[in-house]
Amino acid sequence: MSRLSHVIAAGRPVGRLVERARALGGPVLGLAVGPAQVADELARTGVERVFWFETGPDTPVEAQALGLAELVANRPGHVWAGRTAGERVLLGAAAAALGAPVLTDTVDLAAPDGRLVARQAVLAGRVWQTVTFDRPVAILLEGGSAESDDSAGPPAPVEPMAAQPYALRQTDWRPTGRAPVDLKAARRVVAVGRGLKAESDLGLIEALARALGAELACSRPLAEGLGWLPKDRYVGVSGQQIAPQLYCAVGLSGQAQHLAGARAAEIIVAINSDQQAPIMSEADYILCGDLYQVVPALIKALP
Amino acid sequence: MRIVVAHKWAADPQEAIVTSDGRIDQSRAQPCLSEYDAVAIALARGLADSVGAELVGLSVGGPEAASPLATKTALARGLDSILVLADQALASADSTTTAQALAAAVTELGDVALVLTGDCSIDRGARMTPAVLGGLLGWVTLTEVSALSLDRTSLTVERELEHGRQTLVLSPPAVLAVAAGAVEAPAPGMRDVLAAARKPVRQLALDQFDGDWGPLGQVQDRTLAPAPDRRGIVIATTDPTAAAAELIARLERDGLTWAGRP
Ligand SMILES: Cc1cc2nc3c(=O)[nH]c(=O)nc-3n(C[C@H](O)[C@H](O)[C@H](O)COP(=O)(O)OP(=O)(O)OC[C@H]3O[C@@H](n4cnc5c(N)ncnc54)[C@H](O)[C@@H]3O)c2cc1C
Repeated sequence: MSRLSHVIAAGRPVGRLVERARALGGPVLGLAVGPAQVADELARTGVERVFWFETGPDTPVEAQALGLAELVANRPGHVWAGRTAGERVLLGAAAAALGAPVLTDTVDLAAPDGRLVARQAVLAGRVWQTVTFDRPVAILLEGGSAESDDSAGPPAPVEPMAAQPYALRQTDWRPTGRAPVDLKAARRVVAVGRGLKAESDLGLIEALARALGAELACSRPLAEGLGWLPKDRYVGVSGQQIAPQLYCAVGLSGQAQHLAGARAAEIIVAINSDQQAPIMSEADYILCGDLYQVVPALIKALP
Repeated sequence: MRIVVAHKWAADPQEAIVTSDGRIDQSRAQPCLSEYDAVAIALARGLADSVGAELVGLSVGGPEAASPLATKTALARGLDSILVLADQALASADSTTTAQALAAAVTELGDVALVLTGDCSIDRGARMTPAVLGGLLGWVTLTEVSALSLDRTSLTVERELEHGRQTLVLSPPAVLAVAAGAVEAPAPGMRDVLAAARKPVRQLALDQFDGDWGPLGQVQDRTLAPAPDRRGIVIATTDPTAAAAELIARLERDGLTWAGRP
């Protein structure tokens, strides 16, 4: 089996993925989708070559899925990408072209004897399994910059690709105006769920977050469906996966899909009126009560 | 013209029992129509009505995906008919194998303008099946779709991305994954349930299609995921002020300080 890896970059940093791919021991090629800047940044991450699929300002990266998949089909190898919507679609197209399985929630990856050995979290993070593969795989992993700075050498050559994109055009873009948040960088997080009765009560939770020196997060229904907070603030299997020092869950039941994103926290505090809520059996400190009484008391008591 | 909604009959991982040696016991977990698939069907119903298209459900999975309970549950959500590809080999299939089976069924069906899916299935939640399916069909694929409209030659799609709302124009065919909160999907009423019993169900057999449907990797072992030992200390809240003081004192003992907060 080929030890070749491809790393897809579509606008977010992927240095960490390049690092992981190189650790498997084979050559690593970069597949850049987007404006020239994406290709230039990828060229400085330690990949050997960059194949660049250009997209204009009104074209989402998904338009280049077919061209990228064709390239991967001609050079079979493992394919790596981050977890954003666009990266997933590009990775899926590559997996389709290769008939490759997609590894999500990978804890650990090694290639001891040409075979690939993956440790994966399954069942919403409740179980770990070890799986071996004798074929190229597609790996979906949190992106991000490399841990060690490897940018000292000359940048890799960039080769523009002339693939025919899908006819797909953005005709309107309305920013929400809300600043992006990096939940992963936060040492303390206050997460709120549907126990909150109204959007206007968010101020109360924000005040608690401020008093604790914490970043504000939420369960998925608050970000999608209710839309009270932006999508980058929800924690869980399909959202952010974080490991803060303090995770304070307020009016949030802690279903498996949510806890998959928070279980690595050092200290978990649960404030919930239901003794039976799943979060109560996975917390260090359990405050069973009405958040509308407990939270104001906490804000007042914090120095 | 047909609009297809791919949906999965699957169990919530919350309900599985995991033994201390990592064995997964699903026998008490009841499969259901994934919550997010119901959202996709609701959105698709509105779209199909607006253009006079036929709305076909497509479900791929283990033998229970073809059970009357499974098909009626999906049909009651407003599908016109349902196509099922159920086989033991697909019972715990991964995203790629599932997408390969879906692609085979979509091609067999023919005259399909759009395939809609939910955001993700309740059991695996990988959010990858629509992307692989789009790649296999060679169709434009977009996820996080919150609204869409279709006319003869073009499709207008809205997406709620992390920091803005995007409108896109494309031409069908396409694979679209519907955002979890795109529309309300109210529980079906008695009339819908009765109507579901009379709607057509067609089954495909896996051996109609070429392909190797075996697992793509070999599972070597399973263990309980390591989880930090939680202390489970109960702090009484009858007096919220006392509860607050106790929590703060305990957090301070754990090493948290309140200086230097932003
Ligand atoms: C495929 C799939 C993927 C999913 N992925 C995610 C994910 O990534 N992240 C995620 O968060 N969810 C995810 N979910 C949803 C998840 O299963 C739960 O439905 C969701 O996390 C529940 O959100 P919640 O805790 O806010 O709401 P609920 O479960 O409704 O909980 C609200 C809680 O508030 C408590 N409460 C009510 N009033 C008060 C009060 N006055 N004071 C104190 N407590 C109160 C209640 O006791 C209850 O426990 C996913 C679901 C599916 C099907």
